[in-house]
Amino acid sequence: MDFDLSPELEDYRKKVREFALKEFREDIAQKHDLEEKYPDDLRLKALENGIIDFTNPWKTMLGIEEMCRVDPGLGISATVPYFGAEILLLHGSDYLKEKYLSKVAAGQKIMGLGVTEPGGGSDVAGLKTNAKKDGNRYILNGSKMFITNGSIGDFFVTLVRTADPDPPSKRHRGLSVLVVESAFKGFSSSKLKGKLGVRATNTAELIFNNVEIPQENLVGEEGKGFYYVMEFFNISRVFVAAQSLGIAQGALDMATEFLMEQEKNGISVSEELKFKLSEMATRTEAARLLMYKAASYLFNYKPNPTITSMAKGYASETAAFCAETAMEITGMTGLSTKLERFFRDSKIMEIWEGTSEVEKIVISRMILKGDGNE
Amino acid sequence: MNDQVQMLLDNVKQFCEQNIRDIALNIERNRIPDQIFSALREQGFIGANLPSSSGGADLDRASYDAILFQIAEYSPSVAYYVYMNNSIILPLLLKAGKKELAADIISGKERVGLSAGNILEGVGIKTTFQETAIFPSNFMISAGSDGSIALLKGTFEESGRKSLGLRGLGIGIRSFSVEKTEKIGRKEDMEKIFVDSSWEQAAIFLGLSQGAIEKAVEYTKVRKTFNFPLKDYSPVAFRLSELKSDLEMMKFYLFSEDGDREKGLMLKTRAADFSRKATKYALQYHGGYGYLEDFGVEKFYRDSVALNAVMFRTDVDRRILAESIYKSKTGYL
Ligand SMILES: Cc1cc2nc3c(=O)[nH]c(=O)nc-3n(C[C@H](O)[C@H](O)[C@H](O)COP(=O)(O)OP(=O)(O)OC[C@H]3O[C@@H](n4cnc5c(N)ncnc54)[C@H](O)[C@@H]3O)c2cc1C
Repeated sequence: MDFDLSPELEDYRKKVREFALKEFREDIAQKHDLEEKYPDDLRLKALENGIIDFTNPWKTMLGIEEMCRVDPGLGISATVPYFGAEILLLHGSDYLKEKYLSKVAAGQKIMGLGVTEPGGGSDVAGLKTNAKKDGNRYILNGSKMFITNGSIGDFFVTLVRTADPDPPSKRHRGLSVLVVESAFKGFSSSKLKGKLGVRATNTAELIFNNVEIPQENLVGEEGKGFYYVMEFFNISRVFVAAQSLGIAQGALDMATEFLMEQEKNGISVSEELKFKLSEMATRTEAARLLMYKAASYLFNYKPNPTITSMAKGYASETAAFCAETAMEITGMTGLSTKLERFFRDSKIMEIWEGTSEVEKIVISRMILKGDGNE
Repeated sequence: MNDQVQMLLDNVKQFCEQNIRDIALNIERNRIPDQIFSALREQGFIGANLPSSSGGADLDRASYDAILFQIAEYSPSVAYYVYMNNSIILPLLLKAGKKELAADIISGKERVGLSAGNILEGVGIKTTFQETAIFPSNFMISAGSDGSIALLKGTFEESGRKSLGLRGLGIGIRSFSVEKTEKIGRKEDMEKIFVDSSWEQAAIFLGLSQGAIEKAVEYTKVRKTFNFPLKDYSPVAFRLSELKSDLEMMKFYLFSEDGDREKGLMLKTRAADFSRKATKYALQYHGGYGYLEDFGVEKFYRDSVALNAVMFRTDVDRRILAESIYKSKTGYL
């Protein structure tokens, strides 16, 4: 067992860290947080500087971690224009890849993923948005909630109902994925303001009012949408673990710096606080190992949903734990530093792409099915 | 809990329903508006705990805590404002013989803010509160570098940055141009006042926890996933019931115990930790909606951590409690 990263990955990690330290300046991070403004220039810079590299998923994962370690809002913003890309990559036709995906990779378009609806996010199969077939097109009606890039995205990989479930108890049947352009007639979006954290990212509600979707925009096969999205979550949850780990590590960095400064100034640091620091560091390391294990299964084409959910669930709780504990350690000082932003940003990790409770549902279900991970 | 406390809780709740509920979001976005200051004054909440000889309402400890608790359920910022005036600023000023300014605060003519940090002393200087200024105003009380507590008069500059919590108070690092300074006491006085107000601090922690828990209980009755309301799922129902049980037990303690210093420290320590846990679960059970300010639950999550920073010095306050229990020097390594 080798826990070291290859020299190539180590170099890449360093390169991303240098980029983030240079570009994610505190004044920039503060401005985007305060104004709830998406940093489009950083998206392009990250692309131009080879920071976004889809040729190697290990790089994507490590890059996300390093960027979020410096600033979660900006780090996620730089990496999220591609959110949902794997669905197109794995199941999209050549036409869709060429028309949509290649433009995202070239920095010309921004995409998003539309799964959650106002009525529910955890219960994916309970969605209500429907697309009725009409000749060689679908007519789409409904809405999607909390969609990242919702009011800046050019198109959305969207999960919709195209047929009644058969039998009705198997609600995950009859769902399909369509590519919906924001320029299509009948599409509208409204930006959600006043988020607790990750305020540099753009979030919106999407409304579909008789939107005509050409048949070619169906991704993969009709009725397979639920499986595609679940497969996608198995990939993206590793990346959310990386976001979480970045936050945990960043909070740990700040708490460490604070305590070192105290000691340097002759203020004795109690064991109580040192133990808190130890716990933060231990949990962060444990989360990192779980993430590496999940990634190692996934990137070697043997995805393991149990380990993936463990990695995402544990890393996200570690992010929230570390940010909160760092706030406790730094007290009043932390209130006026970027740590408070990390604290606000951290909470979303336990909510998006499967809440902590949903991860526990997945883990226990898989174990009780006898998946060999018990 | 005696009848007087119960009656007061009911009355303050009604006050909050009428005056705070509908503008709670606005308080967070734009600081506490003038109408709230007037309403607090009219109700006699400012100075409520002070002797009538100082213009106060002479309320007993439990009754005063009932006010703080109930207001914190609606707006921790407003509750903290009442607390910082009644429990810190006014006692400090009265001890220093500054009766006129105290009277002006009670009548609403003047407002005073607090800063934890050392300031550079001297008239005509521009100083920055390196540690956070709470409720920046034309009068600020701050610690001096020589171990004194000083009252400063001057003007401060607004900052664009929002604080993590208690946003109604405009907390943050601020620059302050000093026109006048006056020593009004020693740091030890401030420390004693702070530690002696553990009951009040606990009341605020518990009030905001109640605000968050109640919201979560209501939400989980109506929000459905997988065809069942959230309350039907055992982890949700059990966790919220546990939180509610812990809260009720601490409330019982808050309103029925005597005002013993050590018991106050015990309750504050439990309540500070509890508020972080309660508000976190309350937000979590709201799912994505909990992440939006419109739903009014993320505020409690932020405020609990901000209040922990402002009112509960994790190392110091735990050591004070430990020393009170051991009756000797403890917990310093
Ligand atoms: C900033 C932000 C960005 C987002 N971006 C996207 C995006 O780009 N695309 C997208 O599709 N979605 C996105 N989401 C939505 C996110 O994935 C959902 O919020 C999340 O899946 C939870 O769904 P919900 O909000 O409807 O909560 P609900 O499903 O209503 O859940 C509420 C609470 O109940 C708990 N719960 C639910 N069922 C159970 C159960 N059986 N047992 C125990 N507990 C349960 C949940 O864990 C949660 O705590 C985003 C959300 C936010 C806040």
